[in-house]
Amino acid sequence: MKGSRADKAATVVFWALGLVTIALLAFIIIEILARGFLTAINPKFFLGKPEAIKAGGGIFPMIISSLYLAALTILISLPIAIGAAIYMAEYAKKGRLNNFIRFCLDSLATLPSIVFGLFGLALFVIYFRWSYCLLAGAFTLAILNLPILLRSTEEAIKLVPNTYREASMCLGASRWTTIRQVVIPTALPGIMTSTILPIGRIMGESAAIVYTTGLFIRNIPISPFDTAAPLAGYIWYAQSEALVPDYRQIVNGGAALLLIIVFAIYFLARWAGNRYQQTKLLGPKMK
Amino acid sequence: MPEEALENKMVIKDLSMYYTDFKAIEDVTFDVPARRITALIGPSGCGKSTLVRCLNRMNDLIEGVRVEGEVVLDSENVYQQGFDTIGLRRRVGMVFQRPNPFPKSIYENVAYGPKLVGIKDKEELDFIVEDSLKKAALWHEVKTILRESGQNLSGGQQQRLCIARVIAVQPEVILFDEPCSAIDPVATQLIEDLMAELKENFTMVIVTHNMQQAARVSDFTAFMLVQEQGQPGRLIEYGDTNTMFTNPSDERTERYITGRFG
Ligand SMILES: Nc1ncnc2c1ncn2[C@@H]1O[C@H](COP(=O)(O)OP(=O)(O)OP(=O)(O)O)[C@@H](O)[C@H]1O
Ligand SMILES: [Mg+2]
Repeated sequence: MKGSRADKAATVVFWALGLVTIALLAFIIIEILARGFLTAINPKFFLGKPEAIKAGGGIFPMIISSLYLAALTILISLPIAIGAAIYMAEYAKKGRLNNFIRFCLDSLATLPSIVFGLFGLALFVIYFRWSYCLLAGAFTLAILNLPILLRSTEEAIKLVPNTYREASMCLGASRWTTIRQVVIPTALPGIMTSTILPIGRIMGESAAIVYTTGLFIRNIPISPFDTAAPLAGYIWYAQSEALVPDYRQIVNGGAALLLIIVFAIYFLARWAGNRYQQTKLLGPKMK
Repeated sequence: MPEEALENKMVIKDLSMYYTDFKAIEDVTFDVPARRITALIGPSGCGKSTLVRCLNRMNDLIEGVRVEGEVVLDSENVYQQGFDTIGLRRRVGMVFQRPNPFPKSIYENVAYGPKLVGIKDKEELDFIVEDSLKKAALWHEVKTILRESGQNLSGGQQQRLCIARVIAVQPEVILFDEPCSAIDPVATQLIEDLMAELKENFTMVIVTHNMQQAARVSDFTAFMLVQEQGQPGRLIEYGDTNTMFTNPSDERTERYITGRFG
């Protein structure tokens, strides 16, 4: 039969394509870890201070910079994204304005990150006179990530079945109460997962931060107004500009470490999401 | 049934409703007597759900909905300017076709409504939860698992949980939109028994596709029909359930009840 043969062929093709994707991913991960894993797990490396000229420097301040920057960025962008997503998913009427907002967001999402970097440089670093600092980077990355964060948050909210909203309204809840008490709690694990992708991107972003946050530091940044050197930017810097003789090792180790950290955050967030679902939503015990 | 004078809890007067340009129901008029069960029957698409959702203004949530006519609850038109819809929905609760407990614990599901009106006291909430679950004939099955998700219950149990959740806000009227169509016969029996018990305190309206169910549980029946494709649904006949099922006055009602209808 022709139909079933086409069916089989399609199955094989899609299966093969899936396999290629997985293989590619596995190859990249293995390659990165093979080159840098041993360096990455060396405490002298991941807990050490970087060197400017000598070999043997560590990257601890860079790790802190990356985590600090990611936290600040999420802190800035998540409330905005959730607020906007609630508006888009729950209140906005289908129509011109809504389509226009979407069009703007999609356009924003396609801009190369260097554009955001230059924008951040012009606005935060120069015009606001913040100079190179975590906050300037965080705001830049927040703008950069807003489109995907908003989109995925909105999807998470839209996944909440309408029957929950109806049930809640039928019990005499206002729209806003329904959103607060039912929609957001139900969507929260999804929202948490939806912040993962941006976190990965924030940690991996270099073009948008080299002009806003800084490239090299020796001390751990404390204040949001301190200059910092996130890992991804530092890797780029070490590869292209640094004077240290062991820059290859730093690059490989840094890349492996970045991968490990992003994975760790991913699993942590998944775990927290599941845990929240099990405990928070089920409420207190009755005597 | 003890003979007491029938008072009307709700009166529906010349009610028409539009989904944007589409007129779904037209000039529907009938009474919903207090502490009785009124059944709403008719073929699919005749506007039964649309009609019950007018009674607690749940249709307001759909964009482009317009209503003409009156729905009177205790001598007040719920569609009058400035009527408190949130208060209305507390007074006129609703149970849906598919059981829809929140993804919260059994306890939290039932406590949801009372918490909305600001009841925070743990003892009081505990009492309401237990009382409502008992009234919904679910207490004995769930009293040891109150902290488990309401969504882990069986379909029939979930539906009773939804009934308990409505009872917990102490409404005056409860609307049921095909409450048994997604659950098995045994669970259906349980819910029918439950409705008979709830009649003492609540006025109920039930939409059903099941003629036997309408005959079994209801005191009054309204029959709706769409005459021709694209026309609005209209009320064909309304009356005492017994009379309607044994001696309908309209030929179309008879054909529908005896199953000789499309
Ligand atoms: N949200 C909506 N927007 C537009 N038209 C709708 C909407 N909901 C229902 N309708 C239309 O209104 C008419 C009545 O629908 P309704 O759901 O009230 O019928 P019903 O009697 O409850 O049917 P069923 O027995 O299948 O549940 C149908 O023609 C339906 O297509
Ligand atoms: Mg219906």
